[in-house]
Amino acid sequence: MAAVVSVKDLRKRYRRTEPWAVDGVTFELEPGQVFGLLGPNGAGKTSVVKMIAGLLRLDAGEVSIFGSSPGDPQARAQLGFAPEDPDFPKFLRASEVLDYFARLLGVDQADRKRRITETLAFAGLDSERRQIRRYSKGMKQRLGIAQAILGRPKLLILDEPTADLDPLGRRDVRTLIERLKDSGVAVLLNSHLLSEVELVCDTVAIMAKGRVLKEGTMSEVVPQGSNLEDVFVQLVEANQPPRDHMPSFITDKGPTS
Amino acid sequence: MKALAVALYTMLELSRRRLLLVFFAIGAAGIAGLGILLKVFTSAFVASVGGPPGFEGPTPEQMTKLTELSFVSDLIGVLGVFALLVAFAIGMTAIYHDLESGSVVAILSKPVSRLEFTVGKVIAAVVGMVLVVGLLSVEARLVMYLFGGGLEDALWFQTLASVANAVTLMLIVLALSAWVNNIVAAIIAFIYNGAAGVVVALHQQMAGGGVLADNQVLHVGLTVLYWLVPHALVSSAPREIARQQFAIITAGDPHAPPVDQIVSSIPGGSSGADILWWFFVVVVLFGLLYLAVRRRQV
Repeated sequence: MAAVVSVKDLRKRYRRTEPWAVDGVTFELEPGQVFGLLGPNGAGKTSVVKMIAGLLRLDAGEVSIFGSSPGDPQARAQLGFAPEDPDFPKFLRASEVLDYFARLLGVDQADRKRRITETLAFAGLDSERRQIRRYSKGMKQRLGIAQAILGRPKLLILDEPTADLDPLGRRDVRTLIERLKDSGVAVLLNSHLLSEVELVCDTVAIMAKGRVLKEGTMSEVVPQGSNLEDVFVQLVEANQPPRDHMPSFITDKGPTS
Repeated sequence: MKALAVALYTMLELSRRRLLLVFFAIGAAGIAGLGILLKVFTSAFVASVGGPPGFEGPTPEQMTKLTELSFVSDLIGVLGVFALLVAFAIGMTAIYHDLESGSVVAILSKPVSRLEFTVGKVIAAVVGMVLVVGLLSVEARLVMYLFGGGLEDALWFQTLASVANAVTLMLIVLALSAWVNNIVAAIIAFIYNGAAGVVVALHQQMAGGGVLADNQVLHVGLTVLYWLVPHALVSSAPREIARQQFAIITAGDPHAPPVDQIVSSIPGGSSGADILWWFFVVVVLFGLLYLAVRRRQV
């Protein structure tokens, strides 16, 4: 089966004096596969997905989506990307943002109206009339996911999609991923919520300091009797100097002020 | 088509920005107020101008004409100033907020090229500018009905020149805001616009045969500088208005210098070369903006 995403020896750094943010990452993603990209803050996960989405230049290596460069608009037409901490033109309303993006996706007028109505309902924003600048972070995150599925993508990239969502929103995203997977859509999921990743992902890669520490199917990465969080913590801690991260003052017995 | 979608929604955003609406409201009120005040002044005082037998000053008709000329001159000035304010208001926001807020991440992950995105933004900025200044010009034209006719073309052509100049300034702010940030961009553009104005004024003085024309080094230096800065386009209106004003003031004065000599220091209509230079500057500034958007990692 042809890979939807192919990433080979990907490298990226933001300044010559800084260490590599992404250092030799390689993986493939096939149709219907849900791939979890995990790692602590600053591991390089967002840099990887932004290079796949054609938003960041790569310094070395190769990325292809649907066999083309991520810069190719035809390839990006099949991509849905929900960024971490999403933002939108702040003086527009949700329906206007979706109409704007549907036009960029080339959705025809009749289909546009139907898709916008249904997508807004899915995101729970169908009765929302305020401009984006009045939205909470959670509402922006819902809109971020809504705009990502608007073009009926064959590849959906979700970067921390549930960070600002309530439990109901998280359940909706989980159901969405399962439905998309069943219909053959490849999903690349960046998340810190390991319990969620464990529920929906077929394959995971754990990254730290720009490198992939471990990759494989969920059963290959998580031994029986263990869980993803234990594996993650062990792997990441083994790759960073030990630290006593609790401030001493919180355990002081002296008088408080 | 995708550039048009970017343009459409950028214009919708611009139309909801308070700063632009405030500038427009102040401009509209200023133009109406200027016209009404001058009309009141003309009706109350100018009609009674006259003097004892033998008085050789302007007649009431000439005074009315002078007032009308100064009104059109003021209108042209007001429109020019508001065009520049609108240029700053649009230039500082049209692209910078998308780049800085993160909106551009969602936009550029769609199948739209960075060239289409840049073209859409510039279309929206220019159309927004033309709409705001155009509406103020239409209002100015309506206010002119309070006075006599005959200077409508002067207003239209000078408005066109003001819009062209404001577009240049707006593109400077847009391009710089994509490279640095919008505040720094506005400050640099403001200083640059002032410096360019000084260069153009000095060049005009030199062309008018002033003392600057005698110094060969200054002559070459100013000519080179003149063709390095995006100098303002002007219609023949300011010089024509001044010519008519001087003609009225000096009528009947046998010792008055020739009008042509008096108005030579006022810029005449821009030449074809000036207009071509304007197009070149616009293309270069658009190129700079596109380069910034293309290089931008979001």
